[in-house]
Amino acid sequence: MAEVDLSDAEKIFIKHGVQDNCREDGRGCEDYRHIELETGLLSNTTGSARVRLANTDILAGVKAELGTPSPDKPNKGRLEFFVDCSANATPVFEGRGGEELAAEIGNILTRTYDCPSCFDLEALCIIPEEQCWILYVDVLLLECGGNLFDVASIAVKAALYNTKIPKVTVSRDEGLVELEISDDPYDVQRVEVQSAPCIVTVCKIGHSHVVDASLKEEACCLARLTMGVTERRTVTGVRKEGSGSLDPASLEDMMQTGKRVGELLNKSLMDSLLEEERQGSKKKPVGFLK
Amino acid sequence: MPTDSRRINGPEDSFDPSVLLVDKKTREKILRDGKRKDGRKPEQVRPIFLKAGIISQARGSAYIEQNETKVMCAVYGPREVTKKEEFSMKGQLTCEFKFATFSCRVRRQYQQDNEERDYSCQLQDALEPAVRMDKFPKAQVNVYVTVLQNDGSPLAASLTCASVALANAGIEMYDLVVGCSARITPSEVFIDPTESEDYKAENDNEAGNGSVTLGLMPSLNQVSAITSKGEVEFELLNKGTKQCVDVCQKLYPVLQQAVAKAVEDRLSSDHVT
Amino acid sequence: MDIRVSAAAKDRDTRSHVEEIENLVTPGDIITSDSGFMRGHGTYNSEDDRLLASVAGVVERVNKLICVKPLKTRYNGEIGDVVIGRIIEVQQRRWKVETHAKLDSSLLLSSVNLPGGELRRRSEEDEKMMREYLKEGDLISAEVQSVFADGSLSLHTRSLKYGKLGQGTLVQVSPSLIKRRKTHFHHLPCGATIILGNNGYVWICPTETEEMDQTGGYELNLKPVQRSDREVVARLRNCVQLLAAQKMQLYDTSVLYTYEASLNFKIKDILKPEIGLEILEQTQHRLEIEGT
Repeated sequence: MAEVDLSDAEKIFIKHGVQDNCREDGRGCEDYRHIELETGLLSNTTGSARVRLANTDILAGVKAELGTPSPDKPNKGRLEFFVDCSANATPVFEGRGGEELAAEIGNILTRTYDCPSCFDLEALCIIPEEQCWILYVDVLLLECGGNLFDVASIAVKAALYNTKIPKVTVSRDEGLVELEISDDPYDVQRVEVQSAPCIVTVCKIGHSHVVDASLKEEACCLARLTMGVTERRTVTGVRKEGSGSLDPASLEDMMQTGKRVGELLNKSLMDSLLEEERQGSKKKPVGFLK
Repeated sequence: MPTDSRRINGPEDSFDPSVLLVDKKTREKILRDGKRKDGRKPEQVRPIFLKAGIISQARGSAYIEQNETKVMCAVYGPREVTKKEEFSMKGQLTCEFKFATFSCRVRRQYQQDNEERDYSCQLQDALEPAVRMDKFPKAQVNVYVTVLQNDGSPLAASLTCASVALANAGIEMYDLVVGCSARITPSEVFIDPTESEDYKAENDNEAGNGSVTLGLMPSLNQVSAITSKGEVEFELLNKGTKQCVDVCQKLYPVLQQAVAKAVEDRLSSDHVT
Repeated sequence: MDIRVSAAAKDRDTRSHVEEIENLVTPGDIITSDSGFMRGHGTYNSEDDRLLASVAGVVERVNKLICVKPLKTRYNGEIGDVVIGRIIEVQQRRWKVETHAKLDSSLLLSSVNLPGGELRRRSEEDEKMMREYLKEGDLISAEVQSVFADGSLSLHTRSLKYGKLGQGTLVQVSPSLIKRRKTHFHHLPCGATIILGNNGYVWICPTETEEMDQTGGYELNLKPVQRSDREVVARLRNCVQLLAAQKMQLYDTSVLYTYEASLNFKIKDILKPEIGLEILEQTQHRLEIEGT
């Protein structure tokens, strides 16, 4: 991650601020910065979204391809995550520099989506054991300004919401299976994301914890908890990261916070996705002109 | 995915026949009746055999056996960091987690796959809080964990094993780390699940199924690692973590004993020679 | 929680008066074919002796000297500038300091005040203590003492107003946004001190009491900052960022006016684009009326 080096006094200032519930930009511990999002801005994808939070800028694209289901899950499609840290974001990512971070984000996304109840893979199956849709979700980091995990998960959920897979009709003719893929842009299958999780990262700073940490705050944080939270307030894929430890009581507090914030996050994400859809073609695309 | 050009891998399109056998009975049983195949109570762990100092050439090592789950771990270092980075007063800890190719029901590859790399990171995050990294500046300690046989809860076993190996290597630590796993069903929590009991995304379609693994530093009462899979209710997750903490506390003496035993053995053998 | 659709926040190019800037050039533009002028920064002579621009920016002329001032640039230091820098390395008898210049600046051991303001030759003892004075990551305020041949800067902190910085927050903006003033240290009436470094680094901290102010930063006050002071610092920080985001010049009056205009809003709301614009409009209006 783009490292920030802070002096001890700055760290103390941030720590006490968190304790006081007044962070360096005046936010409280459970406040998010405002997020801007746009979907459907990449024409070569089945679904796409760009999410911007302060300086963090993440682009997610979904590509649907046909493939065979894996033998242990014959009636399910597949969802695969790839994360790419562009050296545009910071020179640190040049070459293999971003790989570790990319793998970390990819693993967490995989883990949080890895439960049948929050993402329905069966809907992606066309013919059991033979044909299914494989959704490749590519996440591209354009700029890093802290809180990458949360933003990546928002971008992924928005891109999946935007995904429109062409309808497939299966006809069997003398034992031969024929697939016909519709080329009508309105004859499409949507992906159900209502119950998909959003990731909330709760950072432990001093004796308190915050959500949506800025880069400076991340530099003060020894242990953080990433957790996927669904709209139903269930938790998917918790994980502690960093070199610090947590006492059991504050662990519970942090999970509580994550759950509470995650619920709100899911709700307002869905609201704004619906809002964008409602605007429909009236809305002027923004793209990257900003 | 990089392929291994120096080894002859199995045919690419082969798959394990056992996936076709449906192992639903035990799963249903654990879910429906709350009874476990091996007759344990929900909060009961499998018997543990733990021994430190089994690899003679490593600086420190340990072996753990929980019925059919068998893990060994070796620790090397501290030694000079090969990859020079910026000046730092802290040492480095590297962890490598590997399933032996024959250790699981499905054959593993020689190269680390994503799951193993993920486990490696988790081991590192879990051990770092316990190790006094400031005591070996500019140097690194390497922890290698090999799962010989996997019958559920490999990460928890590895955690326990690795911390004992670190202690056995004489690396300065704040505390040991004890690992514990729990399987969470929509209604109950089962401690230390076996492979057939454990959560699998492909089989557990209902919401509320999942598992959690926790690492605890018992004498400081600090959680050094927590990771969960599946979608679970918050209350049950919380209950699961609390039970894991309790179990870890109970297992602590076993670890202490193993570390102390290794020291005793060393002392008595020195005496003889 | 505030997630919005990008398009909805798009009507922001409505800032009414964007004056046409006259002498704007891009690299390769011919500034003059007259050979009587002197070539300054940001320009070059073509083979047929015409003067061409090498950066995008505004042409400036001082008598016969023509230079192009780029709109976005790294910091080009000048002697006497006040800068804020971060220590990145402790070396033999000097510290390497990051000041947003092209090359890292240095702060020589002989150009700092010793603790307690003692005046004497630097001993070997002092050399060993260097990391105790300033270590990697520490922030300092300093003045540019001289420019080395390679263009890197040599700094000094030999005045009690310079030295190590304590608790507070740093905002990084483009150096061209900092307006050159007689003083860059401002104790604002709202209870905070702001240092507008010429290098685009802005330091905001609660104003210290008199006696604490004069230690050259060796004894830092690490006691928790009062909640009210903290809010002032946070508000100022957001205001400075707001000004910088809209490419407005930063100086004591503009910062103070923005601060005062922002008082009607919650601190965290200043970050929202529409509120930010409203505050800036008010500020701009007031600046124009008062002609400062």
